[in-house]
Amino acid sequence: MPTIVIASPKGGAGKSTTAIILGTELAHAGAEVVLLDCDPNGSLSLWASRSALPDRTSVLEGIGESEIVRTIKQHDRDGRIVIVDLEGVASRLVSRAISQADLVVTPMRATTLDATIGVRALALIAEEEEALDRKIRHLVVFTMTKAIKSKQHRGIAESLAGQGVDLVNPPLMERAAFSALFEFGGDLRAMPPQGNMDAAIENAREFAQAIYQRLTGE
Amino acid sequence: MADPKPFAVDIGRLKSRAKDTSTQALEKTDRAGEEHGFVARSPEKRRGRKPSPRTGQVHAKVMPNVSDEIADEARRRGITQGVIIEEAWRLYKENIR
Repeated sequence: MPTIVIASPKGGAGKSTTAIILGTELAHAGAEVVLLDCDPNGSLSLWASRSALPDRTSVLEGIGESEIVRTIKQHDRDGRIVIVDLEGVASRLVSRAISQADLVVTPMRATTLDATIGVRALALIAEEEEALDRKIRHLVVFTMTKAIKSKQHRGIAESLAGQGVDLVNPPLMERAAFSALFEFGGDLRAMPPQGNMDAAIENAREFAQAIYQRLTGE
Repeated sequence: MADPKPFAVDIGRLKSRAKDTSTQALEKTDRAGEEHGFVARSPEKRRGRKPSPRTGQVHAKVMPNVSDEIADEARRRGITQGVIIEEAWRLYKENIR
């Protein structure tokens, strides 16, 4: 089963939120999902500690650079999707995880700072593709976006698209329900209502579906 | 809450590709990462025993039975003879001085 690595050297880009939304939505759609918490801040572990994990999901924590390749290999098997949540720094752990990825998702806020630092992950992927002589599919998802796109957002999106970067549509909007995942744990369907839940669930589902389509080549 | 447009994952369509996990591939990955500033940041684990903070030394000759008893007691408790002397000194300060 595919390994999806959530990577950006920029902290606060929305990696852990993206990992949880993707993992819980794919699990809701019937996949068995293993989430690897490789962030020393332990965001996924915090989420996992809040309540019972949704059906078909499991979390492994405390995985460092010396264990990452072995751990992915151990869980990358039929019937599972492995999602790797990484720390927000440029580290060897990140480059090793990318080397084992079927798909790399780089979340970034639609700001110049996030885009500038996030693009370093894309450059690293290109370098690893050459070194390992294999294609590593990758894409960018904008996170914490507003209903009305700013001029900066549009400019960054155009610039990335112009460089041939695959941009996921829909982006992950700024939603109270998304940040509340770390308060209540579980998935969006299990938590008490937070803002417009229907819109949050639709956004999460469509995002996960877009990733699934990339994985299956639809 | 019912999903208006649910989607279902077809497990059979999710294919994983074999990845190279050899030492050579790992070295190539690390080199590629280092060129872009993705370097080792995990704290190095120190090997072996930590150096003792006990750097002071006493120069004492005692009767053979006393040295034997101190050695036996230290061995029994799994501590150094220095700890026994420290404890004896603490008692001396509390009770005699």
